[in-house]
Amino acid sequence: MSSNTPRVAVETADVWPEDSDENEGVVVNWFTSEGTRVDEGDPLCEFQVEKVSVDVPAPVSGILDEIALDEDDEFEKGETIAWIRRE
Amino acid sequence: MARPEEHRQTERSLTMSRAMVEAIAHEMREDDAVFYMGEDVADYGGIFDSTEGLLDEFGRDRIMDVPISETAYIGAAVGAAQGGMRPIAELMFVDFFGVGMDQIYNQMAKNTYMSGGALSVPMVLTAAVGGTYNDAAQHSQTLYGTFAHLPGMKVVVPSTAYDAKGLLHTAIRDDDPVVYLFHKRLMGIGWLPAPDGPKTGVPEEAYTIPFGRADIKREGADATVVTLGLHVHRALAAADSLADDGIDAEVIDLRTLAPLDIETIRDSVAKTGRLVVVDEDYRSYGLTGEIIAGVAEGDLAALDAVERVALPDVPIPYARPMENEVIPDTDDITAAIRRVRSDE
Amino acid sequence: MLGVTELQDMYETMVMARHYEERLQEEYLEGKQPAFDISAGPIPGELHLAAGHEASGVGVCHHLRAEDSVTAPHRPHHIAIAKGVDLKAMTAEIFGRETGLSGGKGGHMHLFDPDVNFACSGIIAEGCPPAVGAGLDAKKRNADDVAVAFLGEGAIDQGAFLESLNLASVQNLPVVFVIEDNDWAISMPKERVTDVTNGAQRAAGFDLPGTRVDADDVIAISDAATDAIGRARDGNGPSLLEVQVHRRMGHFMGDAEGYRPDADKDAATRRDAIERLETKLRANDIDDETFDELRSRARDRVEEAIEWAKEQPEPEPSAAYEDVFSSPPSEEPERAPSVADTGGED
Repeated sequence: MSSNTPRVAVETADVWPEDSDENEGVVVNWFTSEGTRVDEGDPLCEFQVEKVSVDVPAPVSGILDEIALDEDDEFEKGETIAWIRRE
Repeated sequence: MARPEEHRQTERSLTMSRAMVEAIAHEMREDDAVFYMGEDVADYGGIFDSTEGLLDEFGRDRIMDVPISETAYIGAAVGAAQGGMRPIAELMFVDFFGVGMDQIYNQMAKNTYMSGGALSVPMVLTAAVGGTYNDAAQHSQTLYGTFAHLPGMKVVVPSTAYDAKGLLHTAIRDDDPVVYLFHKRLMGIGWLPAPDGPKTGVPEEAYTIPFGRADIKREGADATVVTLGLHVHRALAAADSLADDGIDAEVIDLRTLAPLDIETIRDSVAKTGRLVVVDEDYRSYGLTGEIIAGVAEGDLAALDAVERVALPDVPIPYARPMENEVIPDTDDITAAIRRVRSDE
Repeated sequence: MLGVTELQDMYETMVMARHYEERLQEEYLEGKQPAFDISAGPIPGELHLAAGHEASGVGVCHHLRAEDSVTAPHRPHHIAIAKGVDLKAMTAEIFGRETGLSGGKGGHMHLFDPDVNFACSGIIAEGCPPAVGAGLDAKKRNADDVAVAFLGEGAIDQGAFLESLNLASVQNLPVVFVIEDNDWAISMPKERVTDVTNGAQRAAGFDLPGTRVDADDVIAISDAATDAIGRARDGNGPSLLEVQVHRRMGHFMGDAEGYRPDADKDAATRRDAIERLETKLRANDIDDETFDELRSRARDRVEEAIEWAKEQPEPEPSAAYEDVFSSPPSEEPERAPSVADTGGED
């Protein structure tokens, strides 16, 4: 792993509940921690919009480099919630 | 047994509900005889996420939504179990047990005995328990003592995701009826936030946790706190707050009520001499008295001081100030630990 | 046959019941956005709102007197309003206040107002047996009072309902069972849990009359209720009614209804019994001015009740220890030590 390899942003727009008009969400649970290896598609965390819970899958395989939003943090649709560094 | 802390960095963390679902899915893949029946367990995935996602993999024949007829479907689970299936039946709230209680305590729990061992009833009855979110008298009880009192049922109460998965594997594989009571506040549901603690590292592979083994969730020399479910986490918080004052409390998570691991408790009390039993069930004729009696029967002289912290004998009120009053909180536990240490 | 004045009264009550639920929804969601924490905000716990059920509560209770008894299930507000439960005290109860119907002990699923003989149970179908008991009480007193048990269509598979039908029938009791069919038992559509499409058919097995009202129409429901309640009042025994209503909101607040087809939700919104009654009234020459008056009176009562409720004090924690018994044991056992901390009992 090199700190020069590009980081991939983990976003929520793709998994946002389709029929929700709400643009604010809350991080509910992280299932992995910084520095952990993840495979593409692994559930990284869960967020809530209104009362709907949604899993955020890893967009690529790599190391979870940075968690930008912790549990209970509120965020806007489209915000980056974490960064993965490709291996 | 690996402790949850050891998994934290090396494995993914799971909420308690996801850990349960993983155990159910694993057992259903391994054994066609396992199936799940309950209200809103299919499309909804369980009101408390106990079956989230299982319908997609297993279909309606094995993840069965049933009519609101607890007597019929719990009894049907008994009959199917006697026939060789391994059903899991879910009571949406444990408070609804009254609706189907005959099937639970006169059929499920007794048929093995009444048949002289000719029959076995390998089923699991799951139910959501507990208060702390103002759902009032008919939707907030734990009733731990009720099930543990009646012979013929094994009774399981997990407090962490790690324990929840291992205990559920054991429950489904057990040849006797197991009542598996999961606390709503521990499931890790977005709309019912859990305290820190129940979400733990959970191995992906199947593993079992034997019944009848309590788990020392925190070691300490000054007082023994025996508890279960949500109150494991409240007791741990109380113990942490007392550590600053030099009081080192041991916290024992019962994990199973029947069979009960009285030896672990007796050993701890032999060390500390002081016992606090914390329960989210009613005070009288229940778990707190049972634990204290079990310790006293073993070695009366080992007990220097005893406290019990439990729901007073009132139905659970709706309004926030009153519910907070009756359900033991961390401060109540802290105070009780201080009281058993007051002659030091 | 209902006169126009009666229809106006029913309209006003239906608007009041609808507005009540819409306002409670707003209050309930306060403090629950963007994170929905069920225990946060001015109204905690579960909240089952009855928007879309108004025609049932109003159409039936219009024919009841204060002496008649009603038991309601976990979705009770529209029935309570139609039965004449004290709106302010009921609202204070839902907000968990000291001056609520039960001083904050019951909450929204457990509303009790003995002044108008109204009671609830949050357990499916378990209000049916007490309604049978109310009918038995009336019979023993030789009174012509009637008892009505409301239940959802999901409850018709419960023993408590079926046993109650039989007991009421064999004892010839003045009881009316009203099934509110909103098509959904939380996430379970009716056809998945029973092969009977018309719940009123359950009556045949107990040799009592069963009627289904297909349209979500307060006039049709009222007509059917007139017959059933009249029959009970005249000593001719129980009846079973099933009335079609619609669930315009989720099972409980926060239910995302991911299991429910959009078309079904849309259809429920379109079939509005309040609009239907409005059309009927307009055909009877009720003008805009009268509608405005009826609506604003209904809304004002709701706003007044909510405003009043929110100003009420919360109960003392120590009140939790009161009311377990009507006549408490003379020597109270020792309580949990925290009682002393809060001043203990009176």
